[in-house]
Amino acid sequence: MKLSDLVLETASAFDANRARSLLTVLGVVIGIAAVIAMTALIGGVKASLMNEMGMSQARLVEIYCFYNREMTLDDINAMQNELKDSYEVIVPTTSGSADITSSTEKATAMITGTYPAYETVMGVKMLQGRFFSQDESNSGQLVAVIDQSAVKKLFGNENAQVTGETVRIGGLDFTIVGVTESGAGAGYGDNVTVYMPLRTCQQRISGATAIGEVLGLAVEGADMNKVASETREWLAKRFNIPESDQEDSIYVITMQSMREQLDTLLGSFQLLMTAVASISLLVGGIGIMNMMLTNVTERIREIGLRKALGARRRDITRQFLLESVCLTLAGGVLGIVLGYAGAFALAGLAGGAFGMSEGTSITPVIGIDSVLLVAGICVGIGIVFGYYPARRAARLDPVESLHYQ
Amino acid sequence: MSIPVIDVRNVHRIYESAAGYMHALRGVTLQVARGELLCIMGPSGSGKSTLMNTLGCLDTPTSGTYRLEGLDVSTLTDDELAELRATRLGFVFQSFNLLPRATVLRNVVLPLTYTDTPKALRRERAEAALAAVGLPTAYFDHRSNELSGGQMQRVAIARALVNNPAVILADEPTGNLDSATGRMVLETFSRLRDEGKTIVLITHDPDVAAWADRTVHIRDGKLLTDEEERAYAQRSGSRGRT
Repeated sequence: MKLSDLVLETASAFDANRARSLLTVLGVVIGIAAVIAMTALIGGVKASLMNEMGMSQARLVEIYCFYNREMTLDDINAMQNELKDSYEVIVPTTSGSADITSSTEKATAMITGTYPAYETVMGVKMLQGRFFSQDESNSGQLVAVIDQSAVKKLFGNENAQVTGETVRIGGLDFTIVGVTESGAGAGYGDNVTVYMPLRTCQQRISGATAIGEVLGLAVEGADMNKVASETREWLAKRFNIPESDQEDSIYVITMQSMREQLDTLLGSFQLLMTAVASISLLVGGIGIMNMMLTNVTERIREIGLRKALGARRRDITRQFLLESVCLTLAGGVLGIVLGYAGAFALAGLAGGAFGMSEGTSITPVIGIDSVLLVAGICVGIGIVFGYYPARRAARLDPVESLHYQ
Repeated sequence: MSIPVIDVRNVHRIYESAAGYMHALRGVTLQVARGELLCIMGPSGSGKSTLMNTLGCLDTPTSGTYRLEGLDVSTLTDDELAELRATRLGFVFQSFNLLPRATVLRNVVLPLTYTDTPKALRRERAEAALAAVGLPTAYFDHRSNELSGGQMQRVAIARALVNNPAVILADEPTGNLDSATGRMVLETFSRLRDEGKTIVLITHDPDVAAWADRTVHIRDGKLLTDEEERAYAQRSGSRGRT
């Protein structure tokens, strides 16, 4: 029997049993929908975390060290010189907070003082104007870059054109040179994000010389684990940290190691969900087998007739196998659609529950590879659970089945 | 003399069941010539269905030989027997056995889907077969469960004809029909015989047997000649009266 004939037979078999087919396939639909929803959600969470944490920057290294004293600019300069084979650029940051006021509004500014290279290293996205320049940085001018949520808070409208405007930060007049996209956690309470030159921040806002977190951009193609261990060794030597204290005093985190941690965490979560879903698929598969067995029994006379008309065993096997495969595949397609839709619904709920702002909601992501994998699994279930009923149909004795009542 | 289409020699068929052995055919020998309309008569339980299944290659004899067009079928595998059924044999059943939801044309085409017949040719042959049984073209796209009994049986005969088989085997083809419709079906068989088809009819109805070129009787798994049958009937008849 040709494939096209088989497809025709299958279509008419479903036509005859629409409601029952749909009910039977529900187990598979639910299982697949669960897998797809979870995969899509986890993909979305991952993408949004990567995005928020600047994780697209695979070459980024976060460095922090404290042992008897904080890091200073001297340390940074020395590191820049001595580790120049590992780092393209090293950017120090210092943080502080101060009141920020426009002509009408007031908020609390979470200030990051840094170098202009921060923009490239962190992949800051500018919406208006520019980041501050090297000249402004060197001379410690009163310039500030604020984020979009700050624009909304201070000027009432997040799309207001504010470059060139003046705001007061810590009692001093700063000129806004640019506006960045808001990052994770932006828009909480009265806090707004402000970037300014390191020197300005140290001299005018915090009055301290300590450096907080240091950001390094490793050279292209560097082995990130090697860069990290080199950095640890260098810091241990410079700060004279004994072996036993190193663990607690030096933090060197590469994005790669964080990404691996995240992958492991999300991976184990997904594994758990997949285990739960496979139980549903198993139950669904048994349902399919049950229906196919009923189907074979109901159609014994038809099978006998087909055999009398010249169907070979393999014609009958194929006919029933194709039926169960089509059934599970249809269930899979339905499951993918429902699962993907469900992922969006869940993402909406999750976003609402965590009070995330609109810009940071999770968008479910599902790859074509997952879809193909699921389709493959469905075909597999159809074959595995359809094989026994199909064989049973094929092995029926034509005489007995023709006269079956 | 050409070889007979059906050549059965000393065939026995013994079934094994929980109740013990059942000797359904006891040394049956039968030849059917090409173009013959043969009727096999016998009461229920006489072994006529077993004989029909054997002739139709649905069942294989326990012993003895069966040659279909000179081919010894006892040496064939299941798949080869299926191929033989698909190409050389046509079946007509008492209860029609059509696929109820399929159209008339698809029912008639069905046996061709188990052969290598190209798609383009299938429809043509199905229409020719339906024309041969006299079913009007208007019904070709009807579902078979929308037809009357007589129409259904004619569709079934067309299905049996579509492969241009060596033999058409019909098991009580008029059993589910009223006598007028049954007569139409028998006329169809008779016309096909006139066109050179070999037909074996199985029945217990003497009115059906009257249409045959030759009738053989089967009792307790054995074939009887007309004289033996008459003697048998008289014996059992007189026993019945006393």
